[in-house]
Amino acid sequence: MKKGMSVILGLAFAASACTVVPAMAEGGNAVNLTIWSPTDKEAVEAWWVEKLAEWNEEHPEIQVSREAIDRSDSYAYDNKIATAVTSNDLPSIFFVDGPQVSYYAANGITVPITEYFDEETMADFVPSTVAQCTYDGELYAISATESSVAFYYNKDMLKECGVDTDDLDSRTLENPLTWAEMAEIAEKCTTDDHVGTHIIMDHGEGLPYALEPMYISEGVDYISEDGTMAAGYVDSEEAVKTTQYLAELIANGYANVDPIQDEFLNKACATMLGGSWDVSILEQSADFDWGVTYYPVSDETGTAVSPCGDWSAAISKDCEDVDAAGEFLQWLMNTENVASYAAAIAKPATRNSAYENEAMAEYADGPRALFVEQLNNTAVPRPRTPSYATFSANYAEAMTNIFSDAATNGEVDADYIQDELTNVADLFTEDYETYYAE
Amino acid sequence: MKTKSSIKFSAGFSRFMFYFGNIIIGIIFVSPLIWMISASLKPEAEIFANMNSIKTFFPSHASFANYAEVFTRMNLPQVFKNTLLYIALILVLDLLVNSMCGYALAKFDFKGKGLILNLVVALMVLPMEAIMLPLYIEMSQLNWVNTLMALVMPFVAKCFSIYMFRQFFCDVPDDLIEAAAIDGCSPAGTFFKIVVPISKTVYATVFILDFVAHWNDFMWPFLVMTGENKRTIQLAVQSFFGTQPVHYSAIMAALVISAIPMIIMFIFMQKYYVEGIASSGIKG
Amino acid sequence: MAKAGNLSGRKRNERITAYFFVIPAVILLIAFLVVPMIYTAYFSGFKYQIMRPDKISFIGLENYTKLFSDKNFWVALKNTVYFTIVVVPVQCALALGLALLVSKKFRGVAVFRTMYFSPQLTSMVVIAVLWSVLYNANPNTGLINSLLVSLGMEPINFLTNEHTAMNAIIFMSAWQGAGYQMMIFLAGLQGIPREQYEAASVDGATKMKQFLYITLPGLKGTIKYVIMITMIQAMKLFTQPYIMTQGGPKNSTKTLVYYIYTQGFQKGNFGYACSIATIFFVIVVCMSLTMKKVTMAND
Repeated sequence: MKKGMSVILGLAFAASACTVVPAMAEGGNAVNLTIWSPTDKEAVEAWWVEKLAEWNEEHPEIQVSREAIDRSDSYAYDNKIATAVTSNDLPSIFFVDGPQVSYYAANGITVPITEYFDEETMADFVPSTVAQCTYDGELYAISATESSVAFYYNKDMLKECGVDTDDLDSRTLENPLTWAEMAEIAEKCTTDDHVGTHIIMDHGEGLPYALEPMYISEGVDYISEDGTMAAGYVDSEEAVKTTQYLAELIANGYANVDPIQDEFLNKACATMLGGSWDVSILEQSADFDWGVTYYPVSDETGTAVSPCGDWSAAISKDCEDVDAAGEFLQWLMNTENVASYAAAIAKPATRNSAYENEAMAEYADGPRALFVEQLNNTAVPRPRTPSYATFSANYAEAMTNIFSDAATNGEVDADYIQDELTNVADLFTEDYETYYAE
Repeated sequence: MKTKSSIKFSAGFSRFMFYFGNIIIGIIFVSPLIWMISASLKPEAEIFANMNSIKTFFPSHASFANYAEVFTRMNLPQVFKNTLLYIALILVLDLLVNSMCGYALAKFDFKGKGLILNLVVALMVLPMEAIMLPLYIEMSQLNWVNTLMALVMPFVAKCFSIYMFRQFFCDVPDDLIEAAAIDGCSPAGTFFKIVVPISKTVYATVFILDFVAHWNDFMWPFLVMTGENKRTIQLAVQSFFGTQPVHYSAIMAALVISAIPMIIMFIFMQKYYVEGIASSGIKG
Repeated sequence: MAKAGNLSGRKRNERITAYFFVIPAVILLIAFLVVPMIYTAYFSGFKYQIMRPDKISFIGLENYTKLFSDKNFWVALKNTVYFTIVVVPVQCALALGLALLVSKKFRGVAVFRTMYFSPQLTSMVVIAVLWSVLYNANPNTGLINSLLVSLGMEPINFLTNEHTAMNAIIFMSAWQGAGYQMMIFLAGLQGIPREQYEAASVDGATKMKQFLYITLPGLKGTIKYVIMITMIQAMKLFTQPYIMTQGGPKNSTKTLVYYIYTQGFQKGNFGYACSIATIFFVIVVCMSLTMKKVTMAND
């Protein structure tokens, strides 16, 4: 039955590819909604099957099915969306990674959903996710889960190198680690067997994602608040200084320029800027004592900032019945569903009320509680600009160049950093002016 | 004066060296495969450990736990069936259409031959990445998105294959074809009854190369197919990469499983190379 | 008289058969290669952001004028040419060597052929992941650098230094791809009559002489063909830089196809990507037609 259903849906879908088929759909008055979201682990897949069965049972007039999209990375998923856009093959609802929300919204690929979520409901969501999903004053997506980054440390190694781990354990959000302290720990912990720290999550979106709080803490974000300007921001004096700090960690050999996968888990580095998702992997596999403390702050300002953003559900422009999709999203994002979904996918939930659910019990204390605390107090979403895709790719490229340069020469060239960052700003301006400026 | 036994010894020695050399080079070539297999038997924390020593190629305590994970997460029979079905369709059509075209270009005279040959050579260089989007738009206009047609039809005609068949058929002696014609064989009959049976090597080559290419293809099936019951092997494997936290141990197990059919296919097709020597005696 | 009529009847018969033989392939090639190429050339005249199919505007040759002053395009072109010039001789020689090792029938020949071909059977993802680790700059985590250090040498930042990154990719690509060309050489070696070798060894010719005077001339056609397809594959270089270096550092591994891909997909400049692709088509089509002239000269 389910199989037959999805075949029919698939055919209906293919048929609507070229010509606009009026909504005189088959099967009486029922609205059919399709969802695309990335394939995930068993528990998440099972969650979808169970929840959709529950919804479809209760709502014969709005039938929902989901297609799991297999992807190797978020670029592949974005490519799939992009190709579907060229031919109007989008599903009714699709999941979008946090920073892409504004990109899709600005291009009219997704439609506003503000009216389906009242103020009271939104007040329950952590501020970071609301900010990430809002573009131009309207809510364009809604998320059940969040992510964050903090400073992990290998207690065994730190003790061996003479670092006071009790001090690290006792830090609070009012008294976080500073850059100077981080560099000092990295220096002390760089030995013949391992490097002191790890700052490169990957060579793509991981760079702008994990490093942005450094820039904000120093005083200037990548891009202006309204998302229109990069010049004077990503190439500012403060940004150069921040980048210089990071490049010095590489130039001095305190951090690897091309870290291996799971460098921290494999004891090849003593500390790392790691994601909230690393908690479960370390709990499962690490054979050493480790701890997590808050994201390090600039010595100049002492402002605590942390990253955030995760996959969110959005309604596409090709959706035949936006109201039905909105109604479904209201239900999908209710407290109970958010809690059980977040528990299944092992990520922090976006709704504060979800943490009262017993499924989220392990977030009450320990490293997980620290991430939730950051999300509620210091998280800042990535820039909300339609040119984010261009910015992200160019920034990642520039940082890779700067880090390679630092590693090759063993010293940091501030002029080179300035040139690279100016180039990032120029490319942003070009993209923004070509496609989005009035 | 050489004794019989010393000759025997030196022949034995050179044979030993021959095998020894082959084994050393073979190991260098097969090392990623060994690494992949060894990683698939390790716990997650061990995969990237010891990367600076030879130990990385051997698991300290092998376990099949990763395979168990793959079996529960991947609907293997369905995935294999989907993949083999579309690849079989492509390959059958590929071998038929391209060998016919290659034969015509090698052995027949007709108007437009030079033009077609130029077309084939010129199009050989088109990289899929460069035309992917326009091709998708075309599929969408044909209403082929999410159907088997989109997976199969664009890949039936291949310039590489046509060219390889042509090069091979050029070497088939004209006398043979002449003789068949005198015996009353039609041109098409000559091809299917006389030429094809002595051309196992080239068919095997094209088969292997194209099978491998499609078996490893990810991007195109990803773009045109949506839905669990249409998932191909590479899509299933890739989904392991995109699921946080990324478990490399499970990925390696999935990759090993996905490589097995190819290795079996390769060893099986090998036979035709060895047989090819005997059957192509007329060639040259 | 009757015979002549017969012959021309046969010729006509042959011609009809020929059309039947070529038409399916030609139709498919036109439909799924030529048509997308024409689309590409067509879209290269537009300002087309991929997310904005509703807002496409015709801009004539503007994409091309931009392209010729885009230094990234020239860098990508230079890198592609460099990769091709270096990788072709290395990979072809390696492939021929391997083919000679396993061309004769001996016990275990299938096993050795499978071994040499196995990098092709392994997913490129595994190979790229493994080699990224082998090439890792830190001697604690990279096999090659730990070897260099134990020999008393300085470690090399293979993939993070702009002077070594492309060469590292070339070496890996030649190793990975050689098995493919080996298969074609094997097919070619089957075509050299065994009697020639037998006659030569009766005359007392050494193995080296046999190689120079029988094998090489016998493989002439195959060698040309292999060089040609290796060149063509080299021009398409994409996966290795995509996975291992993302075109960096400092653009040193950015190739034309990689540039087309990132412009078209990642940054959404579809119209601009189409103009790069069109220029790329022109270059490679000219190249392969020239090569065809050379390779088919003696046919």
